Amino acid sequence: MYFLHFIGSFRMEGWNVLSKRKEYSRRALIIRSVSFQQLDQNFLELIKTFPRYEWDLLTHEHGVKLAGKYQSVHRVISYSYTESFSIWRREKSLKGKYYDALIIPVANLTGAGFLNVFLFSLTIKAKKRYMCNLVSELHPVSFSTIAVKAMMSLLNNVVSGILTGALLPFLWLLFPRMLNHLEKRSGR
Amino acid sequence: MPLVSIVMLCWNRLADVRESLSRIRLIEYGELEVIVVDNGSTDGTPEMVETEFPEVRLLRMEKNIGIAGYNQGFEVARGEYLVIIDDDSFPAPNSIDRMVKRFERDPLLGVIAFDVRNFYHYDEVASFEEAVSSTESSAAISDHYYMSFNGAGVGIRSDLFRQVGYYPEEFFLYNNEMDSAFRIWDAGYRIEFHSDIIAYHKHSPVNRASWRAPYYYVRNAFWLVWKNYPADMAIKLTRTLIFHCIHASLEQRTWIYLKALRDAFRQIYRISGKRKPVQEHIAKNLRVPYDVFFTFYR
Repeated sequence: MYFLHFIGSFRMEGWNVLSKRKEYSRRALIIRSVSFQQLDQNFLELIKTFPRYEWDLLTHEHGVKLAGKYQSVHRVISYSYTESFSIWRREKSLKGKYYDALIIPVANLTGAGFLNVFLFSLTIKAKKRYMCNLVSELHPVSFSTIAVKAMMSLLNNVVSGILTGALLPFLWLLFPRMLNHLEKRSGR
Repeated sequence: MPLVSIVMLCWNRLADVRESLSRIRLIEYGELEVIVVDNGSTDGTPEMVETEFPEVRLLRMEKNIGIAGYNQGFEVARGEYLVIIDDDSFPAPNSIDRMVKRFERDPLLGVIAFDVRNFYHYDEVASFEEAVSSTESSAAISDHYYMSFNGAGVGIRSDLFRQVGYYPEEFFLYNNEMDSAFRIWDAGYRIEFHSDIIAYHKHSPVNRASWRAPYYYVRNAFWLVWKNYPADMAIKLTRTLIFHCIHASLEQRTWIYLKALRDAFRQIYRISGKRKPVQEHIAKNLRVPYDVFFTFYR
């Protein structure tokens, strides 16, 4: 009788473990590149779209406690740098990790201005990458999409650099006087 | 129990104001004063406040004067502590009590930044809020940099805020919190996020491609730099911002960033006499996400 009970409970537990493994058979990582207010909204949609995923979340140091509120997040990873996400600043704790989906939330519709995060995402091994925009629309992002964005940005960098350089002499000339003029005088 | 003044600024958001004020009634703190500054609404908001919330002190502005409206509210507030909210945000029921306890324990804690969460995610965050003990450490801070705060939910010592001149009225909209953060740190006080002190905000999921956010964020970013940074850092950051303005204009095919750049210089008289460089460690360590200001358009 005890033996049958043991077998029964083993089968039940074994089934639970298996079903849990099956439930979380895939892993996803969110790179927190937007406010928690927006992420609150995005995350609801993400869970619906990827129902059987185990979620990790990468955030800057100050966001770790705030990210801890998501009951659905398995692990909050603190980004080891204070600066923005960058392809040159890889997160060492993610070395060797593999994700089925990598989510890059952006604070607008098109992802403009988030190239650094797209490039950073290439430092993490993932089967698929998705941009999740302000209205929680998901768009797959391939290596070639990121490469094209990077090349366009490089071109814009050159033009912007030249134009900024052309303005610099005026800036150097005017700036000290301008700041002096703005200075708060005692007794004012 | 010290008096706390909640100050809300509103403009044409009748339903949201009604909901926020109804939620504020649920706050578990006895000594509370609620001040609503109406920036010239034409949708019946002030009339609704007067009739449905007689306990609220209403200040009516003749027209929309931007964040200067907040300053009117701060001037008349009697509380030892101010809680600043938007017209579509409200503090969680036990947040004010927790905030006051933290302030009373730490005299150099100048600002408590609430964890401002999306109202539409209320249930999950609320269950966390109830589960957390008010005695455990909840400060979401970094050892490596200083933080600013979000004006949709923040507590500030009244005396301190008066001392640093409240919000910079010349900014009109956006980046005003960042400017105040410079002056608060410079006055020797700290700003801390506390994860168990929560406010809810109706973060709009609709991108209206509005010109307001990119324009004011960028114009005011220049003024932030010119007002608060030592000269050597100010010139480097100005150069970086000009670069970003041109780059974002090309990338997003818009003139809005260049217009903001032009107006930063053209309207410079508005910050005349207001430059006061902060201490170097503050300029170096206060986290200002300059690149993010260029992501609000499309």
